[in-house]
Amino acid sequence: MRGRPQLSRTVGLPIATAVMLCVLWQIIVTANGIPEYILPAPFDVGRTLLASLPNLLAHASISGTEAVAAFLLATLLGFVAAAVLTYSPLLRDIFYPAIVGFQLIPKVALAPLFIVWLGTESASRITFATFLSFFPVLISTLTGLQNADPTAVRLCRSLTASDWQTLVSVRIPFSLPYFLSATKVAATLAVTGIVVAEFITANAGLGFLILSSGPRMETLTIFAAIFMLCIVGLSLYGTVALLERAGRRWFTGA
Amino acid sequence: MVTKGSSLQVFSRPLGARRVVAPVIFALAFFIVWEVWLRFLPMSRAVIAPPSAIYTTIVNAFPILMKHTLSTLVEIMIGFMSASAVGIALGAAITLSTSIRQAFYPNIVGFQLIPKVAVAPLFVVWLGVGSPSRLAFSVFMAFFPIAVATATGLANTKGDAVRLCRSLTATNWQTFTSVRLPFAIPFVFAGLKVGLTMAMIGIIVGEFITGQEGLGYVIMFASSAGESAPLYAALLILATMGLGLYSCLLLVEVAVQRWYGAPFSSEGFA
Repeated sequence: MRGRPQLSRTVGLPIATAVMLCVLWQIIVTANGIPEYILPAPFDVGRTLLASLPNLLAHASISGTEAVAAFLLATLLGFVAAAVLTYSPLLRDIFYPAIVGFQLIPKVALAPLFIVWLGTESASRITFATFLSFFPVLISTLTGLQNADPTAVRLCRSLTASDWQTLVSVRIPFSLPYFLSATKVAATLAVTGIVVAEFITANAGLGFLILSSGPRMETLTIFAAIFMLCIVGLSLYGTVALLERAGRRWFTGA
Repeated sequence: MVTKGSSLQVFSRPLGARRVVAPVIFALAFFIVWEVWLRFLPMSRAVIAPPSAIYTTIVNAFPILMKHTLSTLVEIMIGFMSASAVGIALGAAITLSTSIRQAFYPNIVGFQLIPKVAVAPLFVVWLGVGSPSRLAFSVFMAFFPIAVATATGLANTKGDAVRLCRSLTATNWQTFTSVRLPFAIPFVFAGLKVGLTMAMIGIIVGEFITGQEGLGYVIMFASSAGESAPLYAALLILATMGLGLYSCLLLVEVAVQRWYGAPFSSEGFA
C-alpha cells in the first residue's frame, strides 16, 4: 500500500523537476541574452500562446478532429481485421509476412504515397494516420483473440456453439485487455500520422503551422504550436487511457 | 510499456508448407494483376506505375538511387548508434538513485506520449538543412524508448539476485555489471528495436523537410514531380533497408545473449 507521503513524493517530485527545468530554461535564456528566434524563453512562449490563441485553436481543431477520426477508424478496422484473421487460417497465412514486414519498415516513409493517391486534403491525412495506427491494434487484438482461454473455447465447442457465438461470448471478452492497451499506442500514432501528413501536404493544421513558421524564423510560433499539439496529443491519450481503465474494470467485473 | 518478446508470437506455429507457399502465391498473383491491370486500363503515371516500370527505374537510375540510399543508410546508422549510447547511459543514470528515478522517469515517460515528430522543424532552425539537423532529430526521436526500456530493465532485476550480491559483499558497481546489466539485456533490446524504427523515421522525416539528399528526398521529389516509378523504387529500397537493419539487430541480440549465457535471461535465475 502506498502511503500519503510516498504519493506526494511520486507525484510531487516529477512535477517539481519539470518546473525547475522550465525555470532553468528561462534563466539561461535571459542571462545569456539568447535571441528569440533561436530559443524563446518559456515566459515569452506563454505570452505568444495567449496572444495568438484563436489562430492556434483553429489549427488545433483541424489536427485534433483529424486525429480523432483516424484513431476511431484505425481501432475499428484493426478490431474487425483481427476477428477476420482469427477465423480464416488461410488469410492469416497469406497476410502474415505482410503484417510482420509492415511492422519492421518505417511506415512514415509511405506518407507521400497517400498524397499522390488521395490529394492534399483531409482525406489523405486521415487515411495515412489510420494506416499508421491500424497495425498495433490489429496485432494486439489478434494476440488476444488467439490467446483466449483454451478451456473456455473447448467448452463452447462441446456445447455446440457456432464460431460466431464463440467469438462474441468468449474470444472478444478475452481479447479486450489486449485491444484496450493497443488503443493507447494507436492514439499516439494517430497524432504522429496527422502531423507528418500536415508537414507534407502543407495545407492546414498545427503541423503545417510548425513547418511554415520555420523558414520565417518565427520560433515563438513553433514553440506555441508544439505546446498546443502536446495538449491535443495528451488529451486524446488521456481520454483513451481513462476509457481503457473503465473498460478493464468492467472486464474484470470489479 | 515495454514488453519482452515479440507481440507477433501469435504466428509462432510450426512452419508448414502452406505458410510459405500461400503468401508467395498471393504476392505473385498481386504483382501479375497489378502489371496486367495497368496494361489494359492505363492510369496516370503520377499515381501508379506498373512493377516493370519500377524495375526499369531501379536498373536505369541505379547510381543515383545508390547515392541517396548510402546517404540515408549512413545517417540512420550514426543516428541509431548515438541514440543507443545516449539512451542506455541515460537509462542507467536515472536508475542510480531512487530520487533521480522518481524525479525524471515520469517526465521521460510523459515525453513518450507527445508527438515528438512535430519538433523536426526546430532542428532545421537550429542546425540548418544539412546532415547535422537530421542526425540530431533522429537521435532525439530514438533515445527515449531506449532510455525507458533500459531503466525498466535495470529496475526490474530479481530481488533475490541483488540480495545475494549484497550478502556476498559485492560493491554497487559489481552488482551493476554482473547482475543488473545482464538482467536488463532483453529489455534493452526491446527498446533498441523500437529505437531503430524511430531512428529511421527521424532520418526520413528529416529528409522530407530538409529536401537535400537521401531516399526521403527522392520520395518527396518524385511525388511532386508526378513520376511515381522512382517513388515506388525508393520505397522498395527503404523497406529492404528496414528489414535488413532489423535482422542485423536480431543477430546482435542473439550474439549478446549467447555471450552472457542462459542463466542471465531474465527468467533463468530461479
